[in-house]
Amino acid sequence: MSVLLEARAIAAKDLRIEVRGRYALAAVLPFAATLLIVFGLALGPGRATLQTTAPALLWLAVLFASVLSFRRSYEAETEDGALEGLALAPIDRAAIFLGKAAAVTVQLLLLEAAVLALVAVLFGLSVGSDPALLICAFVLGTMGLSAVGSLFGVLEASPRAREAVFPLLVLPLAVPVLLAGVKATAAATVADTGAAAVTTRSGWSWLLLLVAFDAVFIAAGTLVFGYLLED
Amino acid sequence: MTAVSPSSGLRRDDPAGAATDGAGPAVALDRVTRVFGVSPALVRVDLRIERGETVFLRGANGAGKSTLLRVMATLLSPTYGSGRVLGFDLMAEREEIRSRTEFVGHRTRLYEDLTAAENLRFACRLYGLRTDGAPAALERVGLNDVAGERVRGFSQGMRQRVAVARALLRSPELLLLDEPYAGLDTAARDAVDDLIRATVARGGTAIVATHERARARMTTRTLFMQDGRLLPEGVDA
Repeated sequence: MSVLLEARAIAAKDLRIEVRGRYALAAVLPFAATLLIVFGLALGPGRATLQTTAPALLWLAVLFASVLSFRRSYEAETEDGALEGLALAPIDRAAIFLGKAAAVTVQLLLLEAAVLALVAVLFGLSVGSDPALLICAFVLGTMGLSAVGSLFGVLEASPRAREAVFPLLVLPLAVPVLLAGVKATAAATVADTGAAAVTTRSGWSWLLLLVAFDAVFIAAGTLVFGYLLED
Repeated sequence: MTAVSPSSGLRRDDPAGAATDGAGPAVALDRVTRVFGVSPALVRVDLRIERGETVFLRGANGAGKSTLLRVMATLLSPTYGSGRVLGFDLMAEREEIRSRTEFVGHRTRLYEDLTAAENLRFACRLYGLRTDGAPAALERVGLNDVAGERVRGFSQGMRQRVAVARALLRSPELLLLDEPYAGLDTAARDAVDDLIRATVARGGTAIVATHERARARMTTRTLFMQDGRLLPEGVDA
């Protein structure tokens, strides 16, 4: 079986578990929504302030939601020792990494669509200025976050790592994604926010950073995931 | 079952296939030591188990039985020493060993939010087997009536039977069972016995860590462990 077919089997399994457990719907989405509402209330009723800060708050919500999703993804593997089963299976270790990253990407993209709609309503952010740029920013940014989370999420098998090491590793590494994501999102909504310094062209250039980030971490995960999984 | 082993190319229903891969004994360990932190769990274990044997490992809790099985399953690496399983090196040829070995441990390695049938079908996909063997495997352990139910609602005994059904899918050459009878009812115990007998009947090897004395009639040898050491044969811990 090829790596991609093995990865597809793992991703399909993860998505099936997520659909059954409804974790994203029951825990992650309310968390992201609460975060945005609290920030919105804290910033006050000024529409300009809300629109200017909306891209950053949006990506902050995505980051925190993604950390919860990574944890959930590996919790299912550790509940009854299933990760051992994956480790013992005669499959490419890269397939486990790619499958889990793909499943989390799909979950996060669906979550982001809901969060984006919420931001559009609460903060008055228009998502129609450059929808292609906006979609590319979220797809590439989510792929990057998923690659980092799935690579280090395997450390979730260790209770000590779960509480301390995982956030310490993932959150700093996510900074380039956040920066590029926020800038590209701001550029994609520039016409409505009035942020003159940020142009659509500069938004597309931030996507290059996301592409490079994705390439580095997908390649790194494919190569080193097996070493993290083995004793 | 007629699926093809992804690594060996042997047909899974080939009765001779179980004993023709690799060369030498089923297990050959040479002074294998495993240390966790500063605590040795295995101390200079020398062990040779021939193909076709059914070996019971006995000893008190913490004697090192589980660690020894996990080393043979390639889940743990020896800190010192070397070994070969089914003719393949423990460290350098892990994939070859894994494709021919089934390990059933304390935990059943099932996904709680998948049904019994879905768990088995996923295992089939991982091992390159046809998924249509799953219903028959569940029927053999008496779980076909609950095949469509989520594992989350299963008792420990039912989970263990699903794990046995998963092992039945593959016809492994080496079966490693860690306390397989713990907490099981009679039907589930019989399912474990059937798995051991089926493996050995194909020419495979079964190594079982257990406290069960009543099942000793199934064995060709019983080995005893104490404080991480394998006691000389004939010595009871």
